[in-house]
Amino acid sequence: MNFNFRKIDVDAYDEDVLLETELYDPDPRGPQQVIEDAKAKAASVRTSLAKGDNLGALVTILDNPPYGPNVEEAKNLTLQTVVTVLNSTKATDIPNVVRSLPPEAQDTLMKYLYKGMSLPGWGDVSGSVLLGWHEKLTEVAGTGCIVRAMTDRRLL
Amino acid sequence: MVAPEVYNVSQSPITSHAFNADRTQVAVSLNTNEVQILSRSGLDWTPTETLSEHDKIVTSIDWAPNSNRIVTASQDRNAYVWQQASDPLTGRLVWKPTLVLLRINRAATFVRWSPFEDKFAVASGARAIAICSFDPDNNWWVAKQLKKPIRSTVLSVDWHPNNVLLAAGSADMKARVFSAYIKDVDKRPPPSVWGEKLPFNTVCGEYSSPSGGWVHSVGFSPSGDVLAFASHDSTINVVYPGGPAVYTIRSNSLPYISLTWTSEDAIVAAGHDCQPVLFSGGPSGWQAAGSLDDTTAPKSSVGARGGFTGSSPVGRLNSAAFNTFRNADSRGLGSSHGGGTPLATDTELFTVHQNTITNIRPYDGAPGAVSRVSTSGVDGKLVIWSVNAVSGLGTKLKALRVG
Repeated sequence: MNFNFRKIDVDAYDEDVLLETELYDPDPRGPQQVIEDAKAKAASVRTSLAKGDNLGALVTILDNPPYGPNVEEAKNLTLQTVVTVLNSTKATDIPNVVRSLPPEAQDTLMKYLYKGMSLPGWGDVSGSVLLGWHEKLTEVAGTGCIVRAMTDRRLL
Repeated sequence: MVAPEVYNVSQSPITSHAFNADRTQVAVSLNTNEVQILSRSGLDWTPTETLSEHDKIVTSIDWAPNSNRIVTASQDRNAYVWQQASDPLTGRLVWKPTLVLLRINRAATFVRWSPFEDKFAVASGARAIAICSFDPDNNWWVAKQLKKPIRSTVLSVDWHPNNVLLAAGSADMKARVFSAYIKDVDKRPPPSVWGEKLPFNTVCGEYSSPSGGWVHSVGFSPSGDVLAFASHDSTINVVYPGGPAVYTIRSNSLPYISLTWTSEDAIVAAGHDCQPVLFSGGPSGWQAAGSLDDTTAPKSSVGARGGFTGSSPVGRLNSAAFNTFRNADSRGLGSSHGGGTPLATDTELFTVHQNTITNIRPYDGAPGAVSRVSTSGVDGKLVIWSVNAVSGLGTKLKALRVG
């Protein structure tokens, strides 16, 4: 008996297949706009960090993050900027920063933490820093925040 | 605080439950192809009848309070309407099934009678909702399908009080409001916030939660002017179509599977968190008011379970299973020689339900003034909760926030 039928892509034979892109609303900004926004935010984050305003920097970069296809450059830049902010925050400040974030930003931060953990060794990503943030964020936002990071199809 | 009434109906999951009008009987499906009718006898429920016609697992049951008819939906792609009739041989009243021509090629997932009980809606995995009405010429129920623009399995439906509009929650991350107007059955509905002209399959609204997720449950408010839905991203969303405003309440805990309105300004939702949670609000905003389950009560000596009202916001991470693994990790304690506590208490939750709650329904009180709700879940328990039990907790919480 041939068991290769299990490897057949049955979706290819479905005329009415549900596509990944139908599961979320596309970014209203075009790819060009997205990369410009990401660059502008990266610059303003550097200014905030220089002033020691880590919370402000995090709120800025977590607002309206790039997602979906065709914006790889903006995604990488934003992840790099998020990681910079996370790495430059003192461990003792993390609980206060996390608590002061608006709920949407908490969910977005959780998504970036998981994205960072999926790329060990990428840029300055440090597993122990990410786990430290993850612990504090989960204490504040609960398992619900993790569930939202997992269900959200707007991949960062 | 009134303690909830807890009934251990079975060891297996209860896939669905529906009470009759006077709450003396309940129809349950215990994860099989049969429906059992239990009758109240004193402080317990005893099986009195079994409805067996389906071939596969029964997914949903609804019992019409006025016409005393039961409708069941199953994974075998069929639905049956059950009516009591006297048996010609014995004269006893027995439940007789009538076939419903659903014309769907996937499982039926959910079924609900319309408020006037002359129609019912069957949700299915065939990306369609069958709106069924009775055809007296052939003595069966015929269906008309709502298809567009559903892109995936429909998981739940709820009827608007005007008997025409239908809300549906689907696995394509959307909650929608449709018109299910059937020409020969319905009178033209008065205009509402959802629209004026409502031919069959009009889409009156399409909503989704900000972070997506399957929409597990939908519900119209008692007036029908507001829609609430629970999705798998651990949120409850309340839609004011006239607003246009959608309020998203993010939960700290696991996703809700089922919700019901108890009044125009209150919703009770329950799900993977194993406890029913009350939400209150209005056109200006919504928030969680508290749990109906008093998880801080000294049911166990281990301490307060961290729900979203508890001291530890980590929620279920702070459970016995988590501690077992943490001890194994940090102290090298294996489960084989880990202390003298028996396994059963190790995994016991501090909630009444010991597993996911899959159904929550109004139990007592008119629509808009529901005083008690019933829940059933994967743990085989049927529980009746007093909705007012939370109000004390709610005011306490508010006082805490102010103080």
